[in-house]
Amino acid sequence: MIRLRSFAPRVALTIAVVVLVTSFLGAGWGWLRAQDALRQQLDLVLAAEAEGLVRDYETYGLRGLSEVAEIYSRRQGPLFVLLQTSDGRPISGRLPSAPAALRGFATLRQSGDSAPLRALGAMLPGGANLIVASDLSSVDRAAYALAWTPPLAGALAALVALGLGFLLANGLERRLAGVSDAARAVMAGDLTRRLPESGRGDEFDRLSATINAMLARIETLVAEVRQVTDDVAHDLRSPLSRLRQRLEAALARARDPAADGETLEGALAELDQILSTFAALLRIARTEAGAGREGFASLDLSALAAEVVDIYVPVAEDSGRRIEPSIAPGQRVSGSAPLLRQALANLLDNALNHGAGTIQVSLRPGAVLEVSDQGPGIPPEEREKVMRRFYRLDRSRATPGTGLGLSLVAAVARLHGGALTLREAVSGRGLSAVLELPQAGPAEF
Amino acid sequence: MRILLIEDDVATADYVAKGLAEEGQVVDVARNGKDGLFLALNEPFDVIVTDRMLPGPDGLTILRALRASGISTPVLVLTALGEVDRKVEGLEAGADDYLAKPFAYAELRARIRALARRPAPQAELRELSVGDLHMDLLRRTVRRGARNIELLPTEFRLLEYMMRHPGEVLTRTMVLEKVWDFSFDPTTNVVDVHVSRLRRKLEAGGDPPMIRTVRGAGYVLSSPTPDQG
Repeated sequence: MIRLRSFAPRVALTIAVVVLVTSFLGAGWGWLRAQDALRQQLDLVLAAEAEGLVRDYETYGLRGLSEVAEIYSRRQGPLFVLLQTSDGRPISGRLPSAPAALRGFATLRQSGDSAPLRALGAMLPGGANLIVASDLSSVDRAAYALAWTPPLAGALAALVALGLGFLLANGLERRLAGVSDAARAVMAGDLTRRLPESGRGDEFDRLSATINAMLARIETLVAEVRQVTDDVAHDLRSPLSRLRQRLEAALARARDPAADGETLEGALAELDQILSTFAALLRIARTEAGAGREGFASLDLSALAAEVVDIYVPVAEDSGRRIEPSIAPGQRVSGSAPLLRQALANLLDNALNHGAGTIQVSLRPGAVLEVSDQGPGIPPEEREKVMRRFYRLDRSRATPGTGLGLSLVAAVARLHGGALTLREAVSGRGLSAVLELPQAGPAEF
Repeated sequence: MRILLIEDDVATADYVAKGLAEEGQVVDVARNGKDGLFLALNEPFDVIVTDRMLPGPDGLTILRALRASGISTPVLVLTALGEVDRKVEGLEAGADDYLAKPFAYAELRARIRALARRPAPQAELRELSVGDLHMDLLRRTVRRGARNIELLPTEFRLLEYMMRHPGEVLTRTMVLEKVWDFSFDPTTNVVDVHVSRLRRKLEAGGDPPMIRTVRGAGYVLSSPTPDQG
């Protein structure tokens, strides 16, 4: 939980720090660039000023120029003008720490705390020297001011990022807490609980939807397992109770070899019924777990169906029924012959035990196997249920069988990637079981 | 007949060994795979019955070792309930038969006898005869004495199986497995229906019965003798 709690603030903090550091680095670079640009600008100003003074000299002579220099000096402005003789002695004007006979641009350091000066020196046509200079401190101040703007903005941005980050963190934490609560509820056994969805359709909602679908699947599976457990308990308890009562009664009465023998035989028959139920359950479980798939081979479903039908024709005849086969030749599927044989046998057993009238067995192109009879059929709302383990229609309770036949057929169908569908027979009477299997390509020779 | 039983469950081993001994068979019991393999490799047996799951080498390992050593003694593998789909695995390892536990003792006895009397493979076999019943395997015809018997393909296969095991008890499960490849028990009386039809065809014309029902076990096909008539 600590990690979840600190995740979003950590992101916000990281973003803030990155913004801050980047803006400070930018400030350093910006300061250098601004200073450079402002100094170039200053040089242009100095050059223009010097040019004007040279023109004044040409118009008013040395005397006029020295008066102008005096005016500049009195002004105390950022601009200094100094007039020197050809050997460097000052004529007029004022310039702290003036070099003699300066030619071109130079930066003059000054003693003490005073800012350095930028100076431009030139020789006048008469031989005298002119120096124009300006204080660099104003330029540096401007550069400084310019350079500090981005980091200040950056710091502000970092603060905003931090604030937004915390807001986001709160939202995130609330949503995660919802997910976490739901997950804990599911863990505690409430399988109906689902993760909250905000309805915004964002990544969180998509994740929640996926997990909810998974939870729904788990709920169904657990319900099925519960149902099966209940069914197993119920369907095995009855025969086991009968068995127990029978043995108990036999034990209580006087020993009589004939009666005891009969009791034991009955007990064995009962036990065999229980064992065959167990065997059927285990086989369904193994089939549903995918056992038998490794034995899949391309097989002739038409031949397999014809063989099973041949075996069942006399069984039907003996009970006054009839099987009408119509089997399309050459239908091949990839599958397990023993399981498919049992699936068809189960459908025929079912039609014989629970149906009535003529049984039609058809194998149509596309590997669609259909067994239908003219019996009472199964009401639509019960059709799904009879494919579940142990589900038996009330009227079938007295007929032989484990109640697992159709479950196994459905499991075999699923194992083969097909499906078992129960519907009303085309004749409008009776049940039709349709086993659709994926058709295999032509056999390879 | 000398039988080796490799079974780690004491109750099952004792029960089976006792039953076989009462019929006059000589039974050696091994309680684990190691002893079982040692006995199987060093002593002559007519039939070996082994559990699939064993401490030490399991049933299939023993089976493969035997076959690799050139020992072709018939082997019956016992398997846990519901694992019939693993039959193929056992048959590939060289098992001659497969039986799921828990089994009826009669079932085990019938299968052991069928294995012990298994005739050597006869490639040239073209006719089977039991008493006055003759089956031509090439022409697919059956006659009893001078009378021709018309059989459906399913009936022919059933009779062929029974004629290959004359005088032996054949259980319903054995018929389902060996004749039709049904590894399950149908809820309809498939085997009984076929056997009774076959019986009617064999006895048509007043011939004495050849197929006898053994209560609680199965069917026996044998030559009719006056005292059985």
